[in-house]
Parts: sequence; structure tokens; C-alpha cells
Amino acid sequence: MVKILPKVLANLLRKPFTVKYPYEKVEPADGYRGKPSITKEKCIRCWQCIRACPDRAISIDKETKTPVIWLGRCTYCGECAEACPTKTIVMTKNFEFLDQYEK
Amino acid sequence: MTMVIPIGPQHPALKEPEYFRFEVKGEEIVDVDIYFGYAHRGIEETFARRNYKHNIYLSERICGICNICHSTCYSMAVERVAGIEPPERAKYVRSLILELERIHSHLLWLAVAAHQIGFDTLFMLAMRDREHVMDMREIISGGRVHSATNAIGGVRRDVTREQVPKLLENLDKVERSVNYYINLFQTDRTIRSRCEGVGVLTREDAIKLCAVGPVARASGVKTDIRVDDPYAAYPNLSFEVITETDGDVMAKGMVRLREMVESVKMVRQILKEMPNGPLRVPVDLKIPPNEAVQRVEAPRGELLYYIRSNGSEIPERVRVRTPTYASAPSLKPMFVGGTVAEIPIVLWSLDVCFACNDRVTLVDANTGKARVVTMEELRRWRS
Repeated sequence: MVKILPKVLANLLRKPFTVKYPYEKVEPADGYRGKPSITKEKCIRCWQCIRACPDRAISIDKETKTPVIWLGRCTYCGECAEACPTKTIVMTKNFEFLDQYEK
Repeated sequence: MTMVIPIGPQHPALKEPEYFRFEVKGEEIVDVDIYFGYAHRGIEETFARRNYKHNIYLSERICGICNICHSTCYSMAVERVAGIEPPERAKYVRSLILELERIHSHLLWLAVAAHQIGFDTLFMLAMRDREHVMDMREIISGGRVHSATNAIGGVRRDVTREQVPKLLENLDKVERSVNYYINLFQTDRTIRSRCEGVGVLTREDAIKLCAVGPVARASGVKTDIRVDDPYAAYPNLSFEVITETDGDVMAKGMVRLREMVESVKMVRQILKEMPNGPLRVPVDLKIPPNEAVQRVEAPRGELLYYIRSNGSEIPERVRVRTPTYASAPSLKPMFVGGTVAEIPIVLWSLDVCFACNDRVTLVDANTGKARVVTMEELRRWRS
């Protein structure tokens, strides 16, 4: 009982180990596989991303003829970004989003 | 007069559904039946419908906690089928992430075990230290849980020189706290009274029931795939196979804790001795008919992949045997003779992972009747 008292006092006085997350932003490490972003102008329509995707999450937008990713199916493995010859698809550090299926 | 207590599919110990049928006489457990299959997802069938490259990500999703073991084992099995050898640096990167996975899995085990015996302070502390390991995994692989680092013929991502100081700093923190936990485990009265002499698996039973991994090592059986059937960079690494003799929950915990210390040492050695060179070799994925078996020492024990190819880009058959499945028969001698109150901690002392396990319930498609397969049948089961 007496032995534990200094520890209790020390714990009361130090700041918590956790981060107040939504108010304090946490930056993920470099190379983090977050939300994939598509720069439509760069696309050369080789469709390597569609072949590389293990989840069949990438389809072709009928109007612009560029790839679109269904984030509900995407597992954020980064194979499409690796397969893309023009860096049209890159993985960003963004992890704060909701997945929405845009038709 | 015995009474039957059904435990599960919803559980006192686990977040996963599995059904246990305990026969009790008063407070004492006389018999136990284990029914598997509530988390069956048809993964082995799905393997045979996707190509080799896409299957890496499917194998990662068999189990979240040991996803790197699954993807490494799968990739190595495909490499063995195709007859290619990954580059040396890729082997070291694989060993590095495998060892980090072992540390985080054992820390998670420690946290939940502490929670099972009502020691929630230790739960919080272990989860805090696990966070350092998760950060290391995020730095190396770009994801906190699913690494997506393995590829057929090597690895996709490299460990750069800039990352090493941060990794070493986190390793020091982990090592310091693991040493503290070892001391705590040996001295703390709460832990000792709940873990000593509970859920004993004798050496004879461990051998007879083919227990694997830390469960077998806690009973004094010196089995470790990293030594018995070396893979990746393990032939070049120096480490000790940890064994204990008692076979109770305490011994199982001590094996895991002392293994973490060895893993920390191994990660340091890997970071120091990692050779330079390429990360991947190009692979032709049209693999001619062949078959191969690959084993990996997952945090829970021996993980086995069997792959048969048929000349196309899609495997004909993939069989996965996970460590929980191999260790499940040894639950019976651990439970029988104990009390009902010991069930959660004894169950968790096996570090059960049912998401890995459930691929084997049989449902008759014609009659729509589900048939429960006995362990004996399962052992002899072939597709």
C-alpha cells in the first residue's frame, strides 16, 4: 500500500499517454497507404490498375473514360499505384474519410 | 450427475464466435466438446478462383493479427511451386516484419490474458506498448495492421536507412517494458494465484495431441519451425528456442514473454546485418503443374500452406492449416479437472484465433443439412 503511493502521485501529475485525437491531428508515417487519389488528366487508359486490383474495386467511368475506385471494396494495398505507369493513381496519407460509391 | 454448460457461440473470453459444451460436476469440468465452424467464410474455395497475385491479399485476410505470417507463407509456397528463390534482402525484410508481428501478437495476448484474470491495469500497459510496435509496422509497411508488403518473388517495400533510428528507439521502449512484464509475471501475487497450476498440459499430452508453437514449448517440447525447417533469413540469425517445463498458464505466458525478448534481439540483428541488393525477382505466374508445402512459425505455432498448380494463373487447390486448429485438441486435457472459473484464461492461454481456424464445416448442399465433422474425420479429410 505504501509502496504504491508514489506511483499514484506520479500518475496523477503526468500527462496522459493518449493523444486527444480529433482535436490533435496525428500524421501517419511516410509511405502510408491511405485514400488513393486519381489525377484524371494523366491517365493514358492502359487499365493496368484494373488488372492489378485484387478486389475488383476499380471500374471505368463512362463519361471521362478514366478509372474510378469503389472505396467500399478497396483494401488499400497500393497495387494499383504500383502498377500505374504514369502515377495517375497515388496513395495519399488521408485516412479520415467515409467511403462513398459514386456511380 | 453431471450438468451441461454451453459456452458460446457468444463468448466470455473471446470476441469471436465458437461453441464449447462443458460437462460439469458441481464446479469441476468433467468433459468438453468443441464445435468449430461459426466463422466459416469459404476462403479455400475463393483461393481457387483468383490468380496467384490477388491471392496474397486474400491470404492476408484470413487472420488480421497474423496477416504477415499468412501472406509470407503463401508467397513462399508459390515461390516453391514456381521454383524461384527470392533475393537475400527480401528474406531479411520478411523476417523483420514477421518478428515485429510476433512481438505485437504476444503483447496482445498479454493484454487480453491480463483482462481475463481481472488485471486491467496490465491490459492498458500492454496495449500502450503494443502501440510502439504498430507504429514500427506502419513505418515499414505503410499500414498498421495489413502490411501488403509481400509479393511473389520478394517484397514490395524496402527498409530505408532513415527509418532505422526511429525503429531502434521504439524497440528500446518495447524491450524495457517486456523485461518489466517478465519480472511482474514472476512476482505479482494476483497473476501467480490465477495462472500457476491452472490448465496444465503435460509433455506426454502435448506430444500425443500434436500441440504446436508456444503451447508445446511451454510443456517442454522443443519445437520451432524457425529452427526445424528454416525459412526466410532465420538460418542466418542467432536466437534461442524458449521452453518451459510446467505446461500451465504461467509457463505459456512466460514462453511468450521471453520469446518477445528474443524477437527484439532478432529485429536488432536484422537491422544491423541486412544485406544490400534487389527486393524482387520477376516471376512468370503461369506456373506448370506442381505442388508444394510451406511451413512458417506464426506467433501461435506452426502455419502450413499447401498449394497445387495446374499450369494456369490460378491455383488448383490451396490448403491452409492454422496453428489454432493444430492446437485445439490439446484444449481438452487443459480443461478437464479444472473449474468453470478457469475457462476464460485457460482458453486464452492457447491464444486461440478462430478467424484463422474456421474453414472446415461441412454442409450437405442437397439436403441443406449441416454436419459437424469430428476431429478424427478432419484429420483424415482430403479434398
